[in-house]
Amino acid sequence: MGMVITMKDIFDCKLLIVDDEPELRRMVNEILRREGFMKVFSAADCKQARRLMASEKPDGVILDVSLPDGDGFALMRDFRTESAVPVLFLSARDEDENRLLGLGLGADDYITKPFLPRELTLRLRAVLSRTYFPVILKQTEKPVFRLGEIEIDLNSGSVTSHKGQLTLTAKEFALLEKLYENRGNIVTGDRLCQAAWGDDLYGYENTLMVHIRRLREKIEPEPSAPRYLLTVRGLGYKLTGADVI
Amino acid sequence: MKSMMKILSRYVLSAAGIALILLIINFSVLAAWIIQAGKYEQRDYSTAQLAMSLTESHGVYTLAESAAREIEKQYQWAMLLDDTGKVIWSKNLPGDVPLKYTAPDIASFTRWYLNDYPVYVWRHPDGLLVLGSEKGSRWKHSIEMYHEEMENILVWVPAVLILNALAAILLALLFGMRLFRALKPLAKGIEDMAEKQPVELSTRGLLGDLALGINKTSRRLIKQEDALNQRDNARTTWIAGVSHDIRTPLSLVMGYASQLEDDPELLPAKREQAGIIRRQSERIKTLVSDLNLASKLEYDMQPLRLSSVGLAALLRSVAADFINGGLDNRYSIDVMIAKEAQNAVVTGDDELLRRAVTNLIANSIRHNSNGCAIKITLEKGLDNCSCIISDNGAGFTQEILENLNHPRCSVGLQNHGLGLTIVRQIIKAHGGTTDFHNLPGDGCKIVLCLPVRQDPSISGDG
Repeated sequence: MGMVITMKDIFDCKLLIVDDEPELRRMVNEILRREGFMKVFSAADCKQARRLMASEKPDGVILDVSLPDGDGFALMRDFRTESAVPVLFLSARDEDENRLLGLGLGADDYITKPFLPRELTLRLRAVLSRTYFPVILKQTEKPVFRLGEIEIDLNSGSVTSHKGQLTLTAKEFALLEKLYENRGNIVTGDRLCQAAWGDDLYGYENTLMVHIRRLREKIEPEPSAPRYLLTVRGLGYKLTGADVI
Repeated sequence: MKSMMKILSRYVLSAAGIALILLIINFSVLAAWIIQAGKYEQRDYSTAQLAMSLTESHGVYTLAESAAREIEKQYQWAMLLDDTGKVIWSKNLPGDVPLKYTAPDIASFTRWYLNDYPVYVWRHPDGLLVLGSEKGSRWKHSIEMYHEEMENILVWVPAVLILNALAAILLALLFGMRLFRALKPLAKGIEDMAEKQPVELSTRGLLGDLALGINKTSRRLIKQEDALNQRDNARTTWIAGVSHDIRTPLSLVMGYASQLEDDPELLPAKREQAGIIRRQSERIKTLVSDLNLASKLEYDMQPLRLSSVGLAALLRSVAADFINGGLDNRYSIDVMIAKEAQNAVVTGDDELLRRAVTNLIANSIRHNSNGCAIKITLEKGLDNCSCIISDNGAGFTQEILENLNHPRCSVGLQNHGLGLTIVRQIIKAHGGTTDFHNLPGDGCKIVLCLPVRQDPSISGDG
């Protein structure tokens, strides 16, 4: 992908819209231009799409599932024999969802009509970033955040306070990471269990409670009256008051 | 087959009963007849009276006139024997009757016949009066019994009755079994018919006509079933088609409305109006996909993506999603999972089950704008699990409650929209039941009862 490397950002991507409805093509075109994509082509059917695919070599395709002269799935398979171009499907039927979900098709994402412009641009940007600007470095770098006076570094799994530095155990780390990823939101006991033990909550209720207590002893100034790692009765736990550094 | 056994036992019992009743009736008729016959025998003049009316004076016997008429009427002839066995008087004596008798002769005819004439005798002061009837007009018999036997009558009459009853039951059983065997394929046929399976019974034998009727009905039922399926198919396809066609124009409405809503060049009031268009379009979108889902669920055309679904985790996750999604302070959601229901697992479509619970919570929130406390409970039964979603809000109106529990037209737009209909359909597709209740105080309660998968450690397939 020599061409990819010359790309400055995703807005340099050439995009192809394939939909048989001219009004919809126009609208999507407008949405994309407004968002900042300058090279947008559109095709009304498979034939046109194949031609533009060959001549323009787009970097991303927005593809309607049902086209007058064929099926979007078949068209994508055609594309895929020649390039790994990312495809965002537009579907007008709930039934398509089954095929899109169960797909060995390798569609990059799909969106069901009717959709809001914001949905479309968010999904498209995500697909394009994933394909052309994979953030390999960033993924290994984990967050560092503060809970009141305590600083937590998820890279080293360390908790630093004026009392000194403590290290999180593997399970405590897994729990805290999950809670931090969903900070401000309730994380059910089930999800925490999946994160730490890869198993259902059933049978782990007490284990989870014990680990949460130990975690509180490390991150809460007053473990018996938690301020940051809150229990949500009957549901799970919630991390609040985390300040990203 | 259970009902067939019942029919058979009833049949045997009633046949035995009928036999017994017949036996009793016969006995009574016989008794009545014997008594009646005895009465008939009582004539105007008994043999004794006739003997009395034959009087002797100076060696000449005269018979009273009325007695003579009586003899003419009832008998054919009469004679008087003296002590030596000689006939000393007679009336209408036929030629083949001897005029002299020895003691053995007399002994023999007194009980039976004299030259085939049925005869009756009575003691007369001068000898023995013999009255003869026409040949072949009477049948004479005598009954004789041991005294002991007569005394045991209380034992043997019931014994005979019981023996008869036993015989009747045995015979009825025998015939009943034959009937049972003949009916068995028919019963099986009717059962199959109820299961909507094609039925083709042999039409030979006693019940051939019946079998023919069942075959015919089965064929007709299957034809109707096909026609119904076809119509349901057509309806679902039609709804799917309409919902598909509506999506593209709706995309444009939603897309442009949303762009106008975000357009900084427009006046805030205009942008607000565009926002209304956008929000209403989103409502139409939900409605269309609900309608599509409801119609597919109704006609079993929604494919279920089956997997093992832990209900406790599902309920916690749905509740957490609502709270995380910014639930207003006026509402609260509490989840209570019974200890034994913690690991309840159903085989089902996770997304659809999630949708059912979500719809119920959303319904409670939507219809109680002043806020309410929502409670979600999970309880484990023997082979099922009850998920109870209740609130302390306004509850359902009686009419809606009636509609929800006894739906007449399933894909009908009620006040509550399709949300609750979809809940019922989803639970039904999972082999469960849905019950809507109003609570005695305020609020309502919806019970979703789902069959749970048996614990693999118990069934041993793990």
